[in-house]
Amino acid sequence: MAINRPVLCPNCGAQVKKTGYCSSCYMPIDVLRKAYNTSDYHYNIGLDKAIARDLSGAIESLNMSLRYNKKNVMSRNLLGLIYYEMGEVVMALSHWVMSVNYQNNDNLAEKYLKLLRKDATLLDSVDQIAKKFNMALGYAGSADYDLAILQIKTVLSANPHFVKGYLLLALLYIQVNNYEKARTTLRRVLKIDKANPIAIHYLHEMGDTDENIIQMRKESVENDGLLEDAYAEEVSVAEANAKPVSDSPIKRLVGVIEDRYRKTTVKTGEFGEMRFAHYSGIYVLVGLVLGVLLLFFVVVPAQKRNLRKENINLTKEYSEEISAKNAEIAALGEEIESLQNQLEEILYSHDNADNPLPDYSDLEHGLSDEDIDMIIQFE
Amino acid sequence: MIVFEEELKRFQPIPEVSQAEEAIYSNDLRDISDILTQVTTELKNANSDAQLGGIIRR
Repeated sequence: MAINRPVLCPNCGAQVKKTGYCSSCYMPIDVLRKAYNTSDYHYNIGLDKAIARDLSGAIESLNMSLRYNKKNVMSRNLLGLIYYEMGEVVMALSHWVMSVNYQNNDNLAEKYLKLLRKDATLLDSVDQIAKKFNMALGYAGSADYDLAILQIKTVLSANPHFVKGYLLLALLYIQVNNYEKARTTLRRVLKIDKANPIAIHYLHEMGDTDENIIQMRKESVENDGLLEDAYAEEVSVAEANAKPVSDSPIKRLVGVIEDRYRKTTVKTGEFGEMRFAHYSGIYVLVGLVLGVLLLFFVVVPAQKRNLRKENINLTKEYSEEISAKNAEIAALGEEIESLQNQLEEILYSHDNADNPLPDYSDLEHGLSDEDIDMIIQFE
Repeated sequence: MIVFEEELKRFQPIPEVSQAEEAIYSNDLRDISDILTQVTTELKNANSDAQLGGIIRR
């Protein structure tokens, strides 16, 4: 025999009537179930986004999930975790406390709260960070940009995952026309929250394309020096490369004039102004000295080496040629000597001959009898 | 075009630890069940008023 278990209201836990309404709170159970299912659906979307590090998107989905069911403990816990990752510890705490309030057994939020309670200094530092951030916000509102930047940097040094802080810092850098620093700051935001809409909006306004932004996400943020530079660098430096698009020609003209002024002037807060023109001579001199050093230590030794090699090759070539010529000379000398010897022998044999040869010069007139006798005699 | 003052309005002060309680209350939003509870309560009140009106008329 099958036992019919009573259906309990998910809202108050009382028994549900056959009509489909709760006996205690009179809720329509079908509607509640649909709402809870939708809440779970948005939680799943939020979880997927959180895994993909789209934290802003995840917050949106989880808030939607809580609108359908504020007692969805999983959504609360994940939302708290995301706020914690984005450096907003108080928001994280509030969600975890509420989560424990709705379900005090077997709840992950209990573990998180225990961990936070263990670290006694954490709450103190969270309080300091909040105070400093709010002060920086106040400085920004009263146009004390340098002070605001300094303050927000101390906040970020203590809490390097504080997305809101980075966004405020980027806005301040944009305001003082330091677009390169603004980009570096926004790159850090994109590392924590891949699709942060404010960061993407600022980058688009600075003229960055979607491809640039995708590339930015891949770049490393370690050693970017964002929080390490000195006070002197906290000043507004005009950047020639990327300027925000001006609307009207007059604005553009004013922009050009301001740029020209800024290119030669650097504000140093309380310490007056510094002109680049004063330092241009030093830069040229340093460049020249470096050029000369490069010439002496790199170019000249290489040339010397080449010349030495060429010299050795030429010496070898000439010595071979000289030895060949010497051998030829020696051979020719020997030939001359032998020819001289032959000549001498011929002359000697000619001089020692007893009877000179008959004179054949007058042969056309015929030989005389005396000559014929002599030939016979000679033969 | 980024208008600094307009953008700055997006940044609200973050709650300090002493304000955590306020943050908890502010995060307690109304969900579907709250809305349904409100609707049923209103309906119940309306019904009881109607019944009361009937009794008085009788």
